[in-house]
Amino acid sequence: MADRRRINGPVGTTNPPIYDDAPEKQSEGFKVTRSRPANVIRKMYLKTGVTPSASGSAYLEIESSGNGGSGLKLSCSVHGPRALPRSTPFSPHIILSTHVKFAPFATKQRRGYIRDPIERDLGTHLETALRGSIIADRWPKSGVDIIISIVEGEQDRETSKAQGIEAWDTMNALSGCITVASAALADAGIDCVDTVAGGVAALVQDAGNDAAPSIVVDPIPSEHEKVLAACCIAYLPTRQEVTNLWFKGDLPASDMDVYTQLIEKGIQASKSANRVLVDCLNETVG
Amino acid sequence: MARHQNIRNLDYEAELEEYGAFSDEEEEELSPEDQVRMREGTAQVLEALGVEAHKVPKTQIEESLWHYYWDVDKTITYLISKYIDPPKKPAKTAPPKTAPKQDAAIASASRQSFAHLFRDLPWGNIPPERQAVLIPPPQLPAGLLGGSGAPPKMSKLQQLAAARKKKAEEKSASGEVEQTQVKMTELTVNDNQASKENRPLAGVFGKRVKISETTAQGRIPLTMAEPTRPEIPQAQAPEATPSQHQEEDPIDPEPAVAPPKAQPSAFASTLFGPSSDSPKRRPREVFALPYMAISSYSPDAFGKPSPDDVVLAAQAKVATAGKKSANVHNKKGSSSADGVTNQVSQLKIDDTPLPKSRNLNVLSEFEKQKGKKTASFVVVGHVDAGKSTMMGRLLLDLNVVDQRTVDKLRKEAEKIGKTSFALAWVLDQRHEERSRGVTIDIATNRFETETTSFTILDAPGHRDFIPNMIAGASQADFAILVIDASTGAFESGLKGQTREHSLLIRSMGVSRIIVAVNKLDTVNWSQERFDEITHQVSGFLTATGFQPKNIAFVPVSGLHGDNLVRKSTDPAASWYTGKTLVEELEASEPSARALAKPLRMTISEVMRTPQSSISITGRIDAGSLQMGDALLVQPSGEKAYVKSLQVDDGEPADWAVAGQNVVLHLSNIDPIHVRVGDIVCDPAKPIQCVDTFTLKALAFDILMPMQVDVHRGRLHAAGKIEAIDAILDKVTGKVTKKKPMIVKPGTVSRVRVTLHSKVPLEAGQRVVLRSGGQTVAAGLLE
Repeated sequence: MADRRRINGPVGTTNPPIYDDAPEKQSEGFKVTRSRPANVIRKMYLKTGVTPSASGSAYLEIESSGNGGSGLKLSCSVHGPRALPRSTPFSPHIILSTHVKFAPFATKQRRGYIRDPIERDLGTHLETALRGSIIADRWPKSGVDIIISIVEGEQDRETSKAQGIEAWDTMNALSGCITVASAALADAGIDCVDTVAGGVAALVQDAGNDAAPSIVVDPIPSEHEKVLAACCIAYLPTRQEVTNLWFKGDLPASDMDVYTQLIEKGIQASKSANRVLVDCLNETVG
Repeated sequence: MARHQNIRNLDYEAELEEYGAFSDEEEEELSPEDQVRMREGTAQVLEALGVEAHKVPKTQIEESLWHYYWDVDKTITYLISKYIDPPKKPAKTAPPKTAPKQDAAIASASRQSFAHLFRDLPWGNIPPERQAVLIPPPQLPAGLLGGSGAPPKMSKLQQLAAARKKKAEEKSASGEVEQTQVKMTELTVNDNQASKENRPLAGVFGKRVKISETTAQGRIPLTMAEPTRPEIPQAQAPEATPSQHQEEDPIDPEPAVAPPKAQPSAFASTLFGPSSDSPKRRPREVFALPYMAISSYSPDAFGKPSPDDVVLAAQAKVATAGKKSANVHNKKGSSSADGVTNQVSQLKIDDTPLPKSRNLNVLSEFEKQKGKKTASFVVVGHVDAGKSTMMGRLLLDLNVVDQRTVDKLRKEAEKIGKTSFALAWVLDQRHEERSRGVTIDIATNRFETETTSFTILDAPGHRDFIPNMIAGASQADFAILVIDASTGAFESGLKGQTREHSLLIRSMGVSRIIVAVNKLDTVNWSQERFDEITHQVSGFLTATGFQPKNIAFVPVSGLHGDNLVRKSTDPAASWYTGKTLVEELEASEPSARALAKPLRMTISEVMRTPQSSISITGRIDAGSLQMGDALLVQPSGEKAYVKSLQVDDGEPADWAVAGQNVVLHLSNIDPIHVRVGDIVCDPAKPIQCVDTFTLKALAFDILMPMQVDVHRGRLHAAGKIEAIDAILDKVTGKVTKKKPMIVKPGTVSRVRVTLHSKVPLEAGQRVVLRSGGQTVAAGLLE
């Protein structure tokens, strides 16, 4: 029996067009290097109140590096606080539920409609990051849904295959998610101790001076020869608290200094992002 | 009782004095034991204080000992905290009298605290970046919290409050300004303090809190002149960060660069519209008219209606005029002012395209037509008298039905063992009629002779189907009474339906009757038998009311066809020299048609045809109609139009007159309003629907107030005889007896009949009253 209640698509399947990559660019030896200073993040565009039906929403856009790679475009909507369904047990504080979803067309590899492990992972990280900022006991017995759709995930065509860099891109996406969710929460009027923003710092090895690895904020993996380690940090600037820390990569075990430096750089990136966030919210309020 | 006495005798003054004396005494001096304790305690305290003992006066020690009730430990703690090592305000608490003695202690204390305390105070020379700037209180977005950038939703209460507030503001606008100024000066005094307080609360949240505080106090909020930004945490002070890192980059880029804000991308600007700060391009407000430069252009070319419009307007005018005149023609009956208004409203209502009437003068057309006469006759008689067989034979002999059809029917009849019914099956076409061997409903068929075209109405002979026979008889001009001449059958018939049928057809108004004495071949064409039957039947018919000149007798054999179309070839029948049945039929003059009367037609059948969803058949009782005429269907009272019509044998025609059997294809009517037995009439002179009427009735049976069925053609309705008004004389019509209890058979009476429902009936119509399957009376409506 056919399903008649929904409008179904055509029976046959179609394949999305896959364009051939342009490997010439790479082979010519043309390599994009980082043009920004090591401690400056990319410019971002943030706007709140984009979804009329949600109680709070925000849109974040981080410009692309300008070498044909795509930027990051996120849209977040916050629904709530709203009463929990009767079936759920009593909760003395607000229950956060976060959903992060890549649009099927967001990345080079087409995403499915069902959340994959990466997206679920991002959701968990986001929840941890936000839970530290929300004053949760002001809303007992209620819940809030934070839904982020990644309209354009930043991934460079050329480099995505060459390096296994998906993890680094995921970090960038997470930092964006944290920032945009924080803006949307503020737009929804949910009380927070502070605005939380995400920042990424990475230990990279550049092509030119292969000797010394350096630390950069807001890394774009394609701009560097190799990314050795990276960390994504969610930071509350007023309270000087880190609510979420995600560290990944190989560091020489002897050098604990690099570890701290990486985190400090991450905090610095987060603070830069936070200024955009504060600026955007000021615009809305004033 | 004793307590009462005591209280009454109480000396209050004495009592009070005693108490007061005691307290005074207590204050003055201690008891010897206490004095001893005091001495011991003081010694202990002094010992415990040791070097610091000189700081504390002795009286204080004693006092505190007394206060703590000789608890030495507590006293010491108190004294230390009070005099020797005061924790908080050492400058203030250190008594000035003791100051000269303890130089060292004071000096050390001031070195620690004061410089540190006032280090940051500018003492009047406030740097501009610290000066407060007054900004108007922020307009918090009215309405409900959260949501989007869309205009805020306001609850009703909020709207009310806003309106009230606005009014109040207008009233006291000037006064308030002064007030705020006063408050502002107030604020500038403790400017320093305010800014200090606010400083830790940087960022948006700090700002929010500040706003809420100040608005709560009714003050104007202050903000720092420099842009708010998260303060650099102390934890990241230089000593925390590695020095190598420090020199590599000046860790905080924030103070130098603006927040890294980007312009929206093309995608974002499409989504949210152009950003507010980008200059808007004003659309051009003036558009040049095209073709202005061309010399042939004239601006007023379209001022007048176009040639097409002119033509269309003229056509529309003509069309409406034509319709109006047509409708006026249809409603020619009414001429009063009311009629005119009715017509006008009619024009508006009936805007569906109606069938076009050709507006013929039907009567003159009918006279002009040099055609054959039309006549219809009903064949009646007792059951199994051979009516259908005789008609079948007649049709076969007249070549209306060919031999092959009859052979086929004969073969079928043989199959079920009823060979003799083959001819009857020409007319009895229903399955039920064939299997039972009797006619149930009237069957119509047509045949033509040289002069006349006839319609046969073959009526059922069985007594159960008398209503159908009545329906048939009501459409007939004359009748053929078929009598079974075989032995015994004639006699039973005379008692049965032969009698009833002849009574009925007479009361239905049929005056001409041809008696066909059938099945004479079974009695070997016996002339005696024929004469005997002739004698009996003519006597009976004359008694029924037929005039002798209108009665004709023909000996026939329906099965073999003798004396139907051709003369009998049987030598035994050679004694009969009269006319054949067909010759008799041609000799019959059809009754006069009521052509000039208003239209009346009883519907005998309703069906669906390709021409129309609703087609009706019937015989026009009176009047005439033509294509496009409006008709009124009673008793539903609905109007219909004749889309097209077919006359007699299904030939399309433009008009029809009384006496013709027609098929009318109707339009503009719902099929539920048209039923068999309804009457179609002229809307200008409609037939009335009545439920009570008076009847001049000829009784066939005993009449008394009782339940009866009233039959008129196809129409039949249940009712009852309400009253019998009078018995009339048969010939003169005079009243012979008033209000009789019963009416005897054969007498004429005036009865009042009430029906259960309204049916279309009018004076001059003939109806039949039946009760319990018997015809009890027939009569004329008055």
